[in-house]
Formats: sequence, C-alpha cells, structure tokens
Amino acid sequence: MEHVARTLIMAITLLAAPAAGAGEEPEWRQVTGPPELSLPRDHGAHFEYRTEWWYVTGLVADAQQRRYGFQITFFRQGIEPGDPGPGESGLRARQIVAAHLAIADISKQGFHHAERLRRAAGGLAGASQADLEVWLDDWRMVRGDDGVIAITARDPDQGIGLDLELRPQRELVRHGDRGYSRKGEAIGNASAYLSWTRLAVEGELSLADGRGAVSGAAWFDHEWGTSQLGGGVVGWDWFSLRLDDGRDVMLYRLRREDGGADPRSSGTVVEVDGAVSTLARDDAAIEVLEGWTSPATGASYPIRWRLRVPAHDIDLQIEALLAAAELDGSTTTGVVYWEGPVEAAGTQHGEGYVEMTGYAGTLDGLF
Amino acid sequence: MILRALFFRPIVRRPWRMVITVIGVAAGVAAVVSTIAASRAAIASFAEGVEEVAGAARLEVTRPGGLPEQVLGALRPLAGDALIVPVVEENVLLLELEDGVRLLGVDLLLDAQVRPVLDADDGPADLEKTLLGFGALISRPLAERLGVASGDRLTVSADGRPRSIEIVALFEAEELSAVWERVVVMDVAAAQELLGRIGRLDRLELVPRAGVDIDRLRDRALSLVPAGATVEEPSQRRRFAAQMLASLRFNLVALSAISLLVGGVLVATTLATSVVQRRYVVALLRSLGASRRQVAAAVLLEALVIGVLGGGLGVAAGFGGARLALASVRFTFASVVRGIPASDIRLDPQLALLGVLVALATSLAAAVLPLLEVTAIPPLQGLRPAAPRRLAARTRLVAAATLGVILVTVAVLMRAPPLWDLPVAALLAALLVMSAVLVGSGVLLDTLARLGHLPFARLRAVALQLASAALSAGRRRAAWAAGSVGVAVALAVAIATMVSSFRSTVESWTEAGLRADVWVRPLAAATGVWVGRLDPEIVAIAEELFGPETVDPFYSQTIAYRGRPVSFAGAAFDVVQHFGSVPFPGRESAAVFAEALERGGAVVNEPFATRFGIGEGDRLRLELPDGVLEPEVVGVFRDYSRSHGLVVVDRRDFLRFFPDHGPDDMALFLPPDVDAAVARRRMLDEVQGRFLIEALLNRQLKRAVLDAFERTFAITTAMYLVAAVVAVVSVAAVLFTLVGERRRELATVRAVGGSRLQLMSMVVAEAGLLGVAAAAAGTVAGLVVGVILVKVVNLQSFGWSLELVLPWASLSKLALWVVSACLIAGLPPAFIASRLQPATVLREEE
Repeated sequence: MEHVARTLIMAITLLAAPAAGAGEEPEWRQVTGPPELSLPRDHGAHFEYRTEWWYVTGLVADAQQRRYGFQITFFRQGIEPGDPGPGESGLRARQIVAAHLAIADISKQGFHHAERLRRAAGGLAGASQADLEVWLDDWRMVRGDDGVIAITARDPDQGIGLDLELRPQRELVRHGDRGYSRKGEAIGNASAYLSWTRLAVEGELSLADGRGAVSGAAWFDHEWGTSQLGGGVVGWDWFSLRLDDGRDVMLYRLRREDGGADPRSSGTVVEVDGAVSTLARDDAAIEVLEGWTSPATGASYPIRWRLRVPAHDIDLQIEALLAAAELDGSTTTGVVYWEGPVEAAGTQHGEGYVEMTGYAGTLDGLF
Repeated sequence: MILRALFFRPIVRRPWRMVITVIGVAAGVAAVVSTIAASRAAIASFAEGVEEVAGAARLEVTRPGGLPEQVLGALRPLAGDALIVPVVEENVLLLELEDGVRLLGVDLLLDAQVRPVLDADDGPADLEKTLLGFGALISRPLAERLGVASGDRLTVSADGRPRSIEIVALFEAEELSAVWERVVVMDVAAAQELLGRIGRLDRLELVPRAGVDIDRLRDRALSLVPAGATVEEPSQRRRFAAQMLASLRFNLVALSAISLLVGGVLVATTLATSVVQRRYVVALLRSLGASRRQVAAAVLLEALVIGVLGGGLGVAAGFGGARLALASVRFTFASVVRGIPASDIRLDPQLALLGVLVALATSLAAAVLPLLEVTAIPPLQGLRPAAPRRLAARTRLVAAATLGVILVTVAVLMRAPPLWDLPVAALLAALLVMSAVLVGSGVLLDTLARLGHLPFARLRAVALQLASAALSAGRRRAAWAAGSVGVAVALAVAIATMVSSFRSTVESWTEAGLRADVWVRPLAAATGVWVGRLDPEIVAIAEELFGPETVDPFYSQTIAYRGRPVSFAGAAFDVVQHFGSVPFPGRESAAVFAEALERGGAVVNEPFATRFGIGEGDRLRLELPDGVLEPEVVGVFRDYSRSHGLVVVDRRDFLRFFPDHGPDDMALFLPPDVDAAVARRRMLDEVQGRFLIEALLNRQLKRAVLDAFERTFAITTAMYLVAAVVAVVSVAAVLFTLVGERRRELATVRAVGGSRLQLMSMVVAEAGLLGVAAAAAGTVAGLVVGVILVKVVNLQSFGWSLELVLPWASLSKLALWVVSACLIAGLPPAFIASRLQPATVLREEE
C-alpha cells in the first residue's frame, strides 16, 4: 500500500537522487516476486531496499466513551545503499528515519500532529534488522517476544503523545501475491507488503488538556521496496476498514491525471478465518459523495464515499469522522496529505482510516 | 549679550583655537572608541558570536579534545526532553578569501530547528551534495564578498589539507551578518571527513522541548555523558573566551583611556587660557552687572560645545581608526583564542553615544578649574591684568605634600594585588602619576623662575631672564601648558619604555628560546588565525625524512584548571632535551627536560605559575577527559607568546589522554651537517599538492614572532601622535594668551629699545622653557609609569616578567622633539609679539 511515507520521503529522495528512476539504481535491491519471509527478522528493517515504513492507524475510546483516532508512522528512506566506505563518516545520512504522529479528537473535532526526522546514524534514530524495532529520538515502536507491539511517542511542543500496546488479533496478512504487491508495469515496480489488519489496543493517550487510558482497535502495515510507480499517477486514496462482521478490507486506488484509477490499483479482503482475497482494480468501485476544502492549503478532499465490492457483498457509505484531518507539512517537509478516521455503514458497519495524497499539488513525477 | 561677548565673539575671532581644542578632545575620544570598537570586533566571533551561532541551543555538552560520537546514542534517554544536535567546528583557511573562516558542521536535516538563519533563501539545498558530498551553505554577504553563487566551488584548508567544497545554498543573515559572514556551514558528517575527525564531535547541543526544566535537563545529561565532559550553557563558552581575552582588552582600553586624559588636559588648558584671555571682558561684564552665574554659563557652554563637537568628531575618527587598528588587534586576539575575529567594524550606536558622553564628561570636568577662575574674577580690579606672583612658601609646601602623598599612594598601589585578574590598582597608580604632573607643573615653573634669578642665570641672555620672569608671572596659564605637554610626554615615555622593555625581552627570548631549524604549521595566510592542526601524516612524513629524533610536534588542548581555561600541551621532551633551549631562568633547559622525562613531570609557563601561584616541585592535578594526571612541575619557563597558562608534558603522556588529531605545529631540529633551507624545501616538496603548510626557517620564525609583536603594539604609535599634537596645541594656545596679556609690557620693551628679534627670542625662550619643564616633568613621570607598566601591569595581566630596558635613544629624541615642537609652537606668538606697535599699544587704556 502506498502510504504517505512515500510522499514525505520522496520529497527527500527526489532531491537526493534527482536522476534516479526505476531500473536505474542497481545498488538497491528490488522486490521482484513474493518475498521469502523469515520471521521475526522480516518485521525488522530491510536496509538493502530504498524505502520502508511501519504504519499504525487506529480508533480508541476512553472511559467516558470519547473517541479518538491515532496515526503513528515510522518511515525509513535510503539515500545511499551500503555501509560507509573507508574514510567516510558513520554519521553520513545514508538512511533517514522520519516519523509522523497524529491524534484526532473526534468528540471535539480537534486534530493535532507532529513530525520528526533524523538520520539513522549515531544511535538517535534507527531500526533493528532482527525484529520490529524502530526509533527516532524518544519515539519508538517495538515488538516484544510475546508479539505485542509497544508504541511510545510524545511531542511536548504540540502537547500530544501516546503510549500504547497493540496485540494482533489475527494472523499476519500478506497482500497481493503472497506479500508481493505490484505497483507498476515494470518488474521492479512493487513492494513487499504485510499487515496485521486487526490489533487490540490498550494504553494511554495524551492531549494538551490531559491524558487518559484508552482502548480500541488498530491496523498495522509494514512495507518495503525500492522502485517507483509508473508515470501519470497524481496521488492515491487508501482505505482500511474493520467491518463488524469480522472481515477487514484494504483498498488503494492510484489516481491518474484523467481522474481514473490506475490498473495497478488493488485491495485485499481478509475473512474472519484469516483467508485473504486480492481485489483487482475493477473488483471495487468507489464513488465520491461529498468533499471538503482545507482552509489552510485550499486543497479539496473527498470526505464521504460509496464503496462497492459486489463479489464480497460489500456496499458501504464511508464518512470521515473528522473533516479537518489534513497534515500540513508545507512549511516543514513540504508534504501535505489527509489521513483521518472514518466510519462505514451499509451492508455492514465498520471503522477504519483513509489516507489521501496528491490533492494539494500533484505527486506525478515523484514515483 | 554675555554669550555674544564671551562665547561667539572669541570663536569668530580665533576660530583656530576652538578647532584645535575640539581636535584635541576628538583625538582622545577617537583613541578610546577605536580601541573599544576594534577589540570588540576582534572578539566578536569568539565571544558575542557564540550565542548567535548556538541559536536555540540552551545547553552544550563539551569535553576537551572532543567527544566520541557514541555520546549521541548515550544521550537517547534525553531525546524526549530535548532535541540533540551534533556539532563539529574548526577554523579553516578559505583560500578564496585568504582568511580564516569557521567551518560549522551541523545536522542539516535538523538544523533549521536550531538555527533558523540557516533556512536557505534560494530554495532547498541539493541534499545529495549536502548529505553525501561536500556541499556547503554560506551567507549571502560572504557570497557577495567572494563574488560567488550557488554551484560555485571554494577551497578550504583544514589540518593543512586543501579540500574543494561546493556552495549549495545561500542564506540571509542580515542582523547577525558580522558573525555569519565568517561561517561556512556543512553537514556534520561532511565536516568530520573534511577535518579528519571521523567518529568525533566537538559538542552536542541540546534544544529543550516545551516545558522542560533546564536544570533538570542538565543534571540528567551530566549523568549520561562520559567522564570529563561538561554540560553548560553556550554563554559559558563565551565567558571562557572572554576570560582569556579580558586582560588584553582591559589593557587596550586602559591605554586609550590615558590618551583621553591627555585630551581632557587639553580642554582644560584651552578653557583656562580662554578665560585668561577674556579676563578683561569678563571683568568688564561683571562691572556692568553680569552675574557670576551668567559668566559661568558661558564657560560651561563653551565646554559643552567642545565636548559635543569633539565627541562627534572623535567617534567618527574612532570608527575610522578602528578599521585600521583591527588588523593588528585581530591578529593579537586570534593568537590568544581559537576563533575567527570579524574583519569589519560595525558602527555601534551605543559605543558612539558613549564616545560623545565621555567627551562631554571630560570637557565638563576640565572646565571645573577655569570655572573657578572665571567666577573669581572681580568686577573692577579684574580690569587690571593679574600681577606676577611667586608661589607662597605655604602653597609650595602644600604642593610638595600633595606630591608626597601621591608618590606614597603610587608606591602602595604598585604593590597591590590584581583585582579580578586585572591590574586595576597599578593602572590607578599610573593615572595618579599623570595627575602629579598636572599638580606639579605650577611648582616646577615657579622653581624654574627662581632659578632664572640665581646669579649664574644672570650670565645668560636677557631674553631668557625676561622669559623666565614672564613665565613666572603667567604661571597659572603656563602651568596648564606645561601640565598638558608633560602628561603627553609622560604617556609617550611610558609607552616607549614599555615597548622597548618588551621588545628587548622578546628579542632575547626568541634568540635564546627559538632554536628550531625549521618550523612547520598549517598555512594560515597572513591572518594569524589558527586554522586547524597539522595532519598526523605530516608528522610521519617529517619523521621519515629527517628521523624521529629531530621532530618535535606540539599538541595542545584547552582544559580547565581550577575552573579557568589553560592550555594543556604535549611536546617531544626527548627531542627538546637534546636540541631545544627553553628559557628556564637559572636552569639548563636540557637538565629540566631530562628530569621531566625521568619523573613524568610537567613544565609550565610563567603566566601559569604567576596566575595560580605554582612553582617548581608543586604537583598539579589535571582533570582530563579520561582520567586525572598529576605531574610534578619541574620547571617554569618564560613565555611571551601567550598570556594564558600553559602546562606541557611529554607527548606520550598527552596522547594517552587525547586522540592524535595532529599537532598545532612542529619544530625540526636538524643535524649540523644538514642545510635547513634544503631540508625545508624537501619537506615542502614532499607534501606538495596534498597539504598546504608553511615551513619557516629559524630566522623567518624569529621575524614572524617579532612581527606579531610589532602588530600588537602598532596601536600604541597612535599615542605618540596624540602627544605631539597636544604639545604643539597647548604651547601655542598658552603663548598666544600670554602674549596677548602682556601687550603693554612687550610694547614697553620695544619702546625702551628692545629689538623685534629680542622680543621674538623672548617669546620663543618662554616656549622653550615650557618645553624643557614639560619634557623634564613628563619624562620623569613617564619613566615611573613605564616601570609600573613593565613591572606590574604586564605581570598582573599577562603573567610576563620583563626586563626593564630604558629606551635612552628614543627618550632623548622625544625630549628633543617636544622642546623643538614647543619652540616651533612659540614662533607664531613670537611673530605677533614682534609686530606690536609700541605707540598704539601704549596708548591703549589700561
């Protein structure tokens, strides 16, 4: 799935390697087929690939049943493959770690976010190659021996923070062809894409007006790869839904300049028993019902959709729980995107997250 | 009416008198302003620049010799409370600028959060070049100065190794341009590679996050950093630098304050003579009903105008002079602290205001005595000229007693210990001696007049007798002139004495102490700025070429000793023992080093010994990054190359505590059969194309040391000029007055048959007598002040003991010069006197 990781990191990559395109980077490994997974090692970092991210979104409620959405993401971006050569400093920014934290206060319709960026060198930011462990300053995501993922992040300047434990409720899902997720026509235009689509969340959330215990459910993505999308893609819409019939749905639509969906748009339906079906572009139809214009950037985002997956008896109206969920990094990383909690009703009920990029300026050329 | 008579008319009639007085004050103010402005600019980037460059960082983790970069990871527990930023910093030579700049290596991914100024104004920098190559950001003013733009390449030399860097972005630095104009910013990793400092950082900056308590943060940081590291506010580094420069700065300002004193004396002279000149007018006005207050107001107004005009002019000249002085001051400061002094003087409104205020205060203070005199002029009796008067015995007694008290006080002050490490008492003593010249000048003239009546004096020319009598009669005005010329002479003599003592001491020190045949250091152009160190490879090359027994590399680090900055250094004791000749008073250099080698001892320089009261046999406790070293002091050596403390141990001991980043410089002691010039050539050829170094032969090194010395004292030559100007102006002003006052008397001399030539000789003789009196008093006082400067001020502020060497030749030249200047100054008044028409003058009403 094409998380916003790409946008953020592309902003760096684009500058870092302007001439680099698909197939022109022999030094980075490419994902060319279903990954041969070795766990837990593959939960960790894959430094030989250029981009990688660990992405968690979820919805929780406190004791007073006030609902919150949260997003915490760690991105890794390779700038230069391999280890430092002789005479080269170990502090060279060969790999960069960035992180985004956002909390949506649904009852108050408040949206707060913070970001961090640091080179993966010197010990203040990095990722383990043995298991899931990635950190940036005091922000951290780590998987314990019991399989529980602990996440800590806090930003005193924005007054937000979270300290959560995530317990997978079902098996790890491998999207696409056993984890091989094609994104473009060329053979290397792909990523390895794994998810825990349903995790139980316990922990603490803090906002400027206080902190409290929360619980709920979350979605975890881990994806890595090297090469980019084909040309002509201006952005994408990504949906992750946990339906109350026990199924989970992931869908991404790569938007083309003409407004249509790229043929490589895809999705996954996870059954209650963990069985996985892959959706092709034409298996799902998404119709925009309502839009919202950001007063900060002027970008217009859909905030209500109709989603139909006839083969799976899914026909849902999806609505953003909070319209103003735009992460405006235009003054920092230069990346602007929308990522917020949604609710679904129709053939089933459900909740989840939607991410939309490329609405505040095209992403064409980044991929 | 009163203003017109007492203020405007004299100005219109004798504009030159006013102009000259204003110039006199301006000269004093200019000296003060230029010294302060130049030293401020020179230390700007050592001290004031520290906090600007530190940006949002509130705490810094530092350690002598730097920190291993693993400290970054060790500080991870703090990451939630503070943004942690690694910094590598060094002075490098920017070849295109032919000057030193500060290479600041920071984490460019983060740094806009610390130093917003670094946000490039011409779009985002090319990150590939910045993060993976050798891309650099420079300020727009520096780019303009160099005539370069983004994409152009520059060459910097650090550790003697030239490296090409590419400008990837320019940033604006309007307000802070003085600091940022001398900075080249690169990514920390690139800077590490460029400076040969892989794996090491110079400091870590901590930018606390919202709501974090600084003291707690400091405590937590302290518990995480390695031994020997400190966690301080950036301002601490500024204070450290300021401490090292304090005495230098203080002395420069104090010296220029003395020249202001001379300016003040000049104002007093002018005002006093103008009062005397206008005695008749004042008396007339008083007779016509003008009050004392009105008359006093006119004098005050004159002082005020002189103050404002002199101040304004002085400030302007001062800033101009500062530009000239900066080159010398810059060099001096750069040799004390590692840093890049600014090369531009900024017009500082506060300093300008201070200059004008000082001028005002000086001229108002100088107006006090003339004010007393003018208010004392009685209405009717005042219309008659003041009668010649000898000093009463009582007055002479009082004057003598005052002089005695001053001398005793001076003697006491000379023995007083320094205050805050500064020779405050000693400089006060110098000031008192100067004031003694003023007090004593009247007595001196009186004595001269009495001598003129002694039998042997009668044998001399009539003109001289008359002159002596006239001076005695006009003693009160003449005393002003003698006083101000005396103070000026004293100033010049004192400085000449200090400079000659200094020079002679340094000369014999370099002669005896600098034995190296070739001396190698990183190329620093003609700036005096320390640019990095010598790459260790250069030492290896020298050892390969000439044998390790001939190579003496000198390593140093700044450490804290008893909370104060000192240099800790390592030298090849075995080499120095055989070839070197370090001046240990009363001991053989070889024996001292043999002892030091045998006992693992240290040698310290005189400033260290003086400042900390350390002597031979004492044991030092040096807290170094990786432990404590407790060497015994086996010798104290003379060192005129630095004013801060220096502890030297054998290089093996030094390198146990500090990584080998290469020495500051390196001395080669060649076998007698090797030609030094040939060896130097071989050394240069060997490193050709790889390193930029300077290799000086022994005589060139000695020359360089003496040049540095000359540059340091270049500013003092300005004071000779002040002395000369004051001498001419005061003498001319007073003689004009005296001639004007004695018109009738002079006319009488003419009427009874005195020739014009005789009249002229009489006035010139007065000038000569004044000159002799002033030169005599000034020389005596100047010698005393010189002794104070040489024996007390230097020792207290720099820790240097100097041989007192009296500059007889220049003293006699100076005396001759002053007397001639006075004689020349006497010519115009003499001419005027000779042109008096007895018939007309004698007809004038009394």
